[in-house]
Amino acid sequence: MKAARSVAFWIALCFCCFPVGAKEVIPPKPEQYVHDEAGVLSSGVRDSLLHEIEDFERQTSDQIVVALYPHMESDSSVEDYTVRVAQSWHAGRTGKDNGVVMFVFVNDHKLYIQVGYGLEGPLTDALCRRIIENEIKPRFRMNDYDGGIQNGVHAIMAAIRGEYQGTGTTVDESQRQSGQGSVAPFLIFLVILVFMAALQWLSSRRTVYSSRGRIISPWWFGGFGMGNSGGFGSFGGSGGGSSFGGFSGGGGSFGGGGAGGSW
Amino acid sequence: MKKALLVLVVLGVLLVLGVFLALGWGIRSYNQIIPLSAKVESQWAQVQNVYQRRADLIPNLVATVSGAANFEKSTLIAVTEARASVGNVKMDPKELLDHPEKFAQFEQAQDRLSSALSRLLVVVERYPDLKANSNFLELQSQLEGTENRIAVERGRFNEAVQAYNVEVQKVPQVFLARAFGFTPKPYFQAKPEAQEAPKVNFNFDQAPAK
Repeated sequence: MKAARSVAFWIALCFCCFPVGAKEVIPPKPEQYVHDEAGVLSSGVRDSLLHEIEDFERQTSDQIVVALYPHMESDSSVEDYTVRVAQSWHAGRTGKDNGVVMFVFVNDHKLYIQVGYGLEGPLTDALCRRIIENEIKPRFRMNDYDGGIQNGVHAIMAAIRGEYQGTGTTVDESQRQSGQGSVAPFLIFLVILVFMAALQWLSSRRTVYSSRGRIISPWWFGGFGMGNSGGFGSFGGSGGGSSFGGFSGGGGSFGGGGAGGSW
Repeated sequence: MKKALLVLVVLGVLLVLGVFLALGWGIRSYNQIIPLSAKVESQWAQVQNVYQRRADLIPNLVATVSGAANFEKSTLIAVTEARASVGNVKMDPKELLDHPEKFAQFEQAQDRLSSALSRLLVVVERYPDLKANSNFLELQSQLEGTENRIAVERGRFNEAVQAYNVEVQKVPQVFLARAFGFTPKPYFQAKPEAQEAPKVNFNFDQAPAK
């Protein structure tokens, strides 16, 4: 009885304590390079940035993400919070770690440029600070978010262009392609077909030599053929949404490089 | 007689089966510990990497700051000495990770450097010329970025150590881990002072020497 009561007490205590710590929200990976949850960018600027960043990834394989939120949903510092968010989105390619994420928290008046390990060379902390001070902050202070973000992204591109060679496609594009036109489902289909044919051949041989002289049609012969054809069309095509500017993380890592500021 | 033989054979088969199972379990557990241990070591290399980065920045910082007229020399000397003591605590990473007292020594040296640097940055606030010096501002942002990286890599090191420590302390695995010398590894601890709120001390009497 006493034990049960103390167990109940501890369980109650656990429930009381839990919600206190769980305040932080790590936002999900954005669908596009420019993610404006704060609603401060004009759609024209957003679209032109999406095209530019997409082209830039094709040319250099670097992934630049701009994420604008109304508030920072964490009690931690901006540099600590944003490095964990950037890490969870995996911007940049595996092995190259060439992602850059620009975070803007509009109502907090804070921003941070997180730089992946692989771009810490060309995009140093000092350079990030200079970009923030000279290109972004003056415009943000005049509520010109369009201009600030555009200038910031252009300055980042100018700094990191030439560090890596691109492959001509973005991670998002190649993932969509592999979803739609991959050879894997076709190969499986082919193997099944060959297997069936072999079975058919084997069993037909056996029917020829069977003592009763009966020709037995194997059971799978009727069932196969047409019935299955619908199943293979449904691979891939999971995409949807906008036809350009789609962002998929390539597996890059972040180690806290970059700089931030408030305006 | 025949019955006894049968029992013996059955027992023998069971024994062999048991030995095989135990061996299989042992190999599997061992193979689970190895990558976790390797992860701790590679993460440790990252930590040392960012500490080295900080140590490399300091000569530049000191040179820039000491150029400012009348800068308090004692602060600079403290930074330089702390940097030198960090250089002295260089050990084989494997040895460091297996000996908590050496690990603590390493950490203390780095903490001394951290506090010397933060004192320096506080003192710099009194020098408007320095604060306007773009060279210094960039060094400062590099230093901030380095401290930030140190925090990140230390956090990831602790995560790697946690995964490893949990694995080597689970109940059946702990016997295997002990037999092969996999001891729990030390964590980075927050400095005792970091638990308290920083003391803000507006000391207007001590005007900067001009």
